[in-house]
Amino acid sequence: MPAADKWVDKNAGPVVRPYALTGGRTQPVSGPILDLIAVLVASTLDQGFDDVALSPEHRRIIGLCRAPVTVADLASTLTLPLGVVRVLLADLIGEGRITVLAQRPAGEQPSAAMLKEVLHGLRAL
Amino acid sequence: MGSAPSDSGVPFAAFKILVAGGFGAGKTTLVGAISEVRPLHTEESLTRASVGTDDLTGVGNKTTTTVAMDFGRLTMGTHLVLYLFGTPGQERFWFMWDELSYGALGAVVLADTRRLVDCFPSVDYFEKRGLPFIVAINCFDGAPTYDPEDVRIALDLDPRVPAVLCDARQRDSVKQILITLVEHVLASRIKDQAETENEAESPFQAAPLPEPAPDPAVSQA
Repeated sequence: MPAADKWVDKNAGPVVRPYALTGGRTQPVSGPILDLIAVLVASTLDQGFDDVALSPEHRRIIGLCRAPVTVADLASTLTLPLGVVRVLLADLIGEGRITVLAQRPAGEQPSAAMLKEVLHGLRAL
Repeated sequence: MGSAPSDSGVPFAAFKILVAGGFGAGKTTLVGAISEVRPLHTEESLTRASVGTDDLTGVGNKTTTTVAMDFGRLTMGTHLVLYLFGTPGQERFWFMWDELSYGALGAVVLADTRRLVDCFPSVDYFEKRGLPFIVAINCFDGAPTYDPEDVRIALDLDPRVPAVLCDARQRDSVKQILITLVEHVLASRIKDQAETENEAESPFQAAPLPEPAPDPAVSQA
């Protein structure tokens, strides 16, 4: 290993400051704050790979959203901070490349029918 | 990604449960006993996270702080996924709690009888927030065992809030904790509905309130 690489292995953390990936933006451009368990999916027609305007992180997000995925799983898989992922997601949602499949309206609790379903699921574990 | 039900491409319903308690109470152990644990971190603006708490001497240019958390994902059947989020222990991360409890189904407060005082802030938080919770008393080896009723009194819990003994290392024990919580949430939901109906029928009700304007956010949903 060259001496210059000694301090930049994966344990050293990211070399680039997290919000550099968003061009310094710390707030999503628009739209509601996405809940940690909001379910996202990439729009079916979008390939995303021939668009030079997209950053590598944007493309990775589109790739991971080919099947429905939650914001928490996405941030964890990308090993990027949640706030960064939210900013990047807002870009893609704004462009129609990613769709929010399920986001519970603010303050709304799961219905009794849903709770019963969860209960059955837990008992069957 | 592997075990996600999303691999099938079929949408799923996601729910979240919070696991709170003092430092070392066994939050991560509990989550890991029943689910695959994944790391999640956030970079929060220091102005939000820790004004007056962090000593910034010598790091005047530091504007963000990292909050690391674990979460677990539990797949049930083909279309239900339950997420378990351990709450960050330090009180300067309260703002993360607001985010975590948003839309949460309920919470488990893990109590360690050797340091019962550590779970007071969690109990207070969920009571104020109106989020249904149960208290799970983690039975550590060598810790004095208490009657759950004594713990309830010590914590001054509402008599309806379940307090149960558990072993956060045991999958079956954790499963039972989650079942107890969801049953409690369901019971309080049914009770709330009954109370709302009774209030509506009350002859002592004042003049009828004007019809609220339809909320566009709600009607869209």
